[in-house]
Amino acid sequence: MIAVLGLVIGVVVGLFVQPELPDAVVPYLPIAVVAALDAVFGGVRAMLDGIFNDKVFIVSFLSNVVVAALIVFLGDQLGVGSQLSTGVVVVLGIRIFSNAAAIRRHVFRA
Amino acid sequence: MSLLTNVMDHSLDEGYAEAAAARGGDHDSRIPRTARGLLTLGAGLALAAAVVTVGAVNAHKAEPTLAKERDALIHRINDSNGSADHLQQQVQELRRKVESTQQQALATGDGDQGGLTGAVGLGEVTGPGVKLVLEDATGTGSGGNVDPRAGQGFSNSGRLRDRDLQLVVNGLWGSGAEALAINGQRLTALSAIRAAGEAVLVDNRPLVPPYTIQAIGDGPKLLGTFENAMAGQYLRLLQEKYGIKSTMSTQKSLTLPAAVGVTLRIAQPVTPEASPSVSPSAAPTTPAATSSSTAGTSESPGASVSPSGSTGRRTPSGSAKPSTAHSSTTTSTRSSSAGTGAARP
Repeated sequence: MIAVLGLVIGVVVGLFVQPELPDAVVPYLPIAVVAALDAVFGGVRAMLDGIFNDKVFIVSFLSNVVVAALIVFLGDQLGVGSQLSTGVVVVLGIRIFSNAAAIRRHVFRA
Repeated sequence: MSLLTNVMDHSLDEGYAEAAAARGGDHDSRIPRTARGLLTLGAGLALAAAVVTVGAVNAHKAEPTLAKERDALIHRINDSNGSADHLQQQVQELRRKVESTQQQALATGDGDQGGLTGAVGLGEVTGPGVKLVLEDATGTGSGGNVDPRAGQGFSNSGRLRDRDLQLVVNGLWGSGAEALAINGQRLTALSAIRAAGEAVLVDNRPLVPPYTIQAIGDGPKLLGTFENAMAGQYLRLLQEKYGIKSTMSTQKSLTLPAAVGVTLRIAQPVTPEASPSVSPSAAPTTPAATSSSTAGTSESPGASVSPSGSTGRRTPSGSAKPSTAHSSTTTSTRSSSAGTGAARP
């Protein structure tokens, strides 16, 4: 219940507040989105596995976003920003896919 | 591979398993029971949803501007392409017009004059011939890397001079060449070979060594005649005394470009029946009926442009006798005056 409420509140806030992002942050937004999705999928899978922990969820979510943005920022400073963001997207994408597969096995038993 | 396997196997944050192990064996806590836990979950999900939404909104907002920029660029490219095509068409049209006008103008005389453009240098010509490559002696710092103030110009150096080129060109004309080009620049009856500072100019365009002279004519015969004539002996002398290298070879097929900046004019006989102005049997290099040029090709005779201090060197020895027969074959008054003036020691 409160989970659905949280999701709805987040979407509403994102849609209606439309925060003006500083230009320095904009390049890292896509990476942050992927990291957030990874955390959400991980949380859902943990929930279905029966080992969900709210603190772990929050911490992993925040740290994923920060670390992903940091890696890309570092890459930008070193001149390999696009390569490093590709690497981050690949790693997080693999995690998202395998978590989604685990969720699918839980839900559909297949 | 182990890296990929690691990523695949540990897709779930290990913190969950650790937390579950710390909490004890009850493995069916799907959703936190405590109010604090619920709140944390709600806040986390709200944050995640907000991040994703903001990302989506941002991408959505950025899309139109990007598309607009891209469209503008595409528009500009298309515009430029269109105008380039248009200009190209215009060029072709004008070229056709020029050609047809030229043909028309030529056709007003007798029919044979249309074929004259090749002979006088205003049309591209292809045929067998001779290639002659002249190169400055080694170590003379040819090209533009000579300090113009340091040396004494051409004097007593192993560099090929304008008058050498004039002599060679005149020799080739005299040996029966039908068309000539130096470094891809077609020579007409009005071409001037001059020197300016350190450079040799042909029609006011500087040449860069090595000098490649292409001559169209009966290859072996032309070669033989040239080598036995005065110019050929002069070249051998240059090689012996100054180390100026010259290599000649017959070519099966040479293509000489048309001369630029020259307009063709036809002299009309006052009484058409009396005497045709151009007789096809005359030497094809004799553009008696034609000629006119743009400014600058023939303002100064060769003698006046020779660099100072260059007289008196490289006098052909007695073996190389100046032959009036050769120089007189060059028919243009201006260029032959430059040529013959230089040919004599």
